[in-house]
Amino acid sequence: MSGVDMSQNALIEVDDLYVNYGKLAVLFDISLKINQSEVVFLVGRNGAGKTTLFRTIAGFLHPKEGEIKLKGESINGMGAYRIARKGVKYIHQDKQVFGDLSVKENLELSSYATGDYNWEPVFAMFPKLKILIDRKAGKLSGGEKQMLLMGMAIIGKPDLVMMDEPTEGLAPHVIQDLAVSFKEISKTTTLFIVEQNLPIIADIADRVYCMKEGKIIVEEGCREDIQNLCFEQYL
Amino acid sequence: MNKRILSILGPVIIIVLMIIFRYIFPNKITFLTEVVIFSIYVMGNNVLMGYLGYTSFGQPFYLSTGAYSAAIYFAYFGGNIFMAMLVAVIVGFLLSLVLAPGLMRLKSSYFTLINAALCAIGVFVFERLLIDITNGNDGLWFRGNMTATPFLDVRYPKNFFFFVLLILLIALYLYQKMDKSALGISMKATKANPEKMTFIGYNVFLIRSIGYSISIMMSALAGALYAINFGFVNPSLGENTRAIEVLLATLIGGVGSVFGPFFGALGFLGMKDIVSSFMSRWEFVVGIITIVVLFKFNRGIWGLIQDGAGLLQSRKKREKTVKVEE
Amino acid sequence: MEIWITAIIYGLATSGILFLVSLALSIGYGLMRVVNMEAMLYYSFGAYVTYTIISVTGSFILGALGGMVVGAGLGLIVETQLLRKIYDRPMMFTMVVTFGVFMIGIGIIQFVWGLEPKPVASPISAIVKIFGGVQIPAYRLLIIVVAIAAYILIQLMMNRTIIGKALRAGIDNRENVEGLGVNINKIFTITFIVASAFAGLGGALNAPLVMVGPYMGFDMLLFAFITVILGGLGSIKGTMVAALILGQVINVGGTLWAPLAFVGPFIVMFFTILIRPTGLFGKEI
Repeated sequence: MSGVDMSQNALIEVDDLYVNYGKLAVLFDISLKINQSEVVFLVGRNGAGKTTLFRTIAGFLHPKEGEIKLKGESINGMGAYRIARKGVKYIHQDKQVFGDLSVKENLELSSYATGDYNWEPVFAMFPKLKILIDRKAGKLSGGEKQMLLMGMAIIGKPDLVMMDEPTEGLAPHVIQDLAVSFKEISKTTTLFIVEQNLPIIADIADRVYCMKEGKIIVEEGCREDIQNLCFEQYL
Repeated sequence: MNKRILSILGPVIIIVLMIIFRYIFPNKITFLTEVVIFSIYVMGNNVLMGYLGYTSFGQPFYLSTGAYSAAIYFAYFGGNIFMAMLVAVIVGFLLSLVLAPGLMRLKSSYFTLINAALCAIGVFVFERLLIDITNGNDGLWFRGNMTATPFLDVRYPKNFFFFVLLILLIALYLYQKMDKSALGISMKATKANPEKMTFIGYNVFLIRSIGYSISIMMSALAGALYAINFGFVNPSLGENTRAIEVLLATLIGGVGSVFGPFFGALGFLGMKDIVSSFMSRWEFVVGIITIVVLFKFNRGIWGLIQDGAGLLQSRKKREKTVKVEE
Repeated sequence: MEIWITAIIYGLATSGILFLVSLALSIGYGLMRVVNMEAMLYYSFGAYVTYTIISVTGSFILGALGGMVVGAGLGLIVETQLLRKIYDRPMMFTMVVTFGVFMIGIGIIQFVWGLEPKPVASPISAIVKIFGGVQIPAYRLLIIVVAIAAYILIQLMMNRTIIGKALRAGIDNRENVEGLGVNINKIFTITFIVASAFAGLGGALNAPLVMVGPYMGFDMLLFAFITVILGGLGSIKGTMVAALILGQVINVGGTLWAPLAFVGPFIVMFFTILIRPTGLFGKEI
């Protein structure tokens, strides 16, 4: 019965997705669902296809077969910027801010795209950004860059924020701060995160998907199992 | 199998084709001679474009360097045609030794444009700087200085045609050897992924420099043959505006193939010959053909020939399988 | 002494033209990593349209405006119909394709205006005396003023408007800008139109100084390339600095020894690239 419920709330639905790079097939028969206000994690080794899946959902790659639905509407083949405007924000790996632009200009860009010029929620969540507002984004530390990217992502009140390895390369205490921010963001927004940091997953995940060699091999939806890291054996 | 037969027979087909043309169109001998010389020039460009992945907008510079080397030899030193060709190739080689250390470090786009600059500098050198030697725009005339060659006096156009055809045959044979050799393979591998080649221990710079050197020497040889054919040389041979001709011929023939350059030269010059007979200016047509070739026939004429052969082959196979099924 | 001051000021005017016509090349590369050889069409069409409008209406200002509009229009067509579709192809492919477009454009010019070069009269024949008696044609000064205005305008656009900020971000990382929800194609198109309009203006301004002929774009192409390569592909500041250097090399160098006016820029570029393969302000790409 719960399955019916879930499909009604589904924010993102991916059905039988196949993706190729040229002639090389990289994703096979991927199906998944992300419901409103869930925190879903995607785990797997390097090269398992996690980033490819994210890029496909965000519209930077187009599927060979299969369908991606956002709130029941197909977004196959839609341009990346249109998907972003529909409320799916994607934060790339490697914390790529626009280094030549100041923090303020970075935020302005996000406001320009979404038409939302209210930065109060951003500063409420990341007070540090207000202090750094005129700093060149290229001069920020890794944690500050990630804050800026998350701040930019939540402008325009998106339905879904996808983050690719947000804690990678950061110091432990910075990661702890970010974990608090994830919880904070998840109160208003659905989150879909690629992550290697198991304690964070154990702490906040509602559901976990494991990928291997271009396929989803396990879906773990039970909080208790997640807390005990039952999926670890598949990594 | 068919593709292999095609590649073994390639040089023979080309030579026979040219001899047939020679007798079908007896008054087109100048044109056919130009096709053969141009083929060698295009083969030189194809080493850069097809094997190394460099596009040069300065090939006319190397061509005119060869032509002027031969012309200066004839005008001031001697009359031996073989010596003139040798001088041109040696000058080309020395030029590549001087330029390769700088040019082979460049990114592809900068290489392209640096070559365009070389072309302009070359015209300046031949037209202005060396005006006392080259007579500037009036051109350097030397036909009277050329001496007869044994067996076949190549000073006559009829004989010269067979002479250049022989050179083309040798060039094609060596080109095919190069294609199959470790050098040819490592050049193509470098084009595909230079970083990986470096990682597995190849000297990418050296591989590129050798290819660049071959390209220049072939262009210089073609230049010398042009000079011998015309009996004079002037700076317009090396102008920037002519850079596109050899690029386009390479593309039309099929980039990176052994026999493509010949078909490119034949196709390009043939087209030019036909179009210019009813249109005085043909930039428009060349532009359109360039775009059509790039978008629709990116493997060129040789690619089409191979596909054709492949088609025949697969039809035969299909017939065979049908028979087996019966 | 007078001869050198004249040369320097003529050099600044040359720099102005070089800057205006090179912008489309530089921006085309910066935005799309396409070496767009057809950029000089905007320049030559700009000059031809100016010629035609002047011969019909007699007004140079109308002519220059017409040149800008036609340059911009061509830029719009080429960017949306061609460049956008090929920007991820290899460099060689895009170079030769855009060169093909350039050839077609030259062919169209030959059909429409014929092969004969056309003279365009200078709109201002006044001579200005500066520095106690050095005579300079006012028209050259006008070119310098217009080019400075164009540079300030483009800097304001890049630094003060949101489109400029999105553009700088897009040059840095195209995908991330799209990921925010910005229609980066639209931004690129707008910028490209501005750059093409400047190239058209360059053609209009240069028309009275040179004969307007089918191959004028070809002649300019080499110098425009030297400008953007010397400055570093994709850098607007670099384009400006390189234009300033080349203007002086052409005019002061040419006064020193006439052939330098043609070959000097090539020599400067040649050695700069050998020492600094990315040009003066270019980034490693």
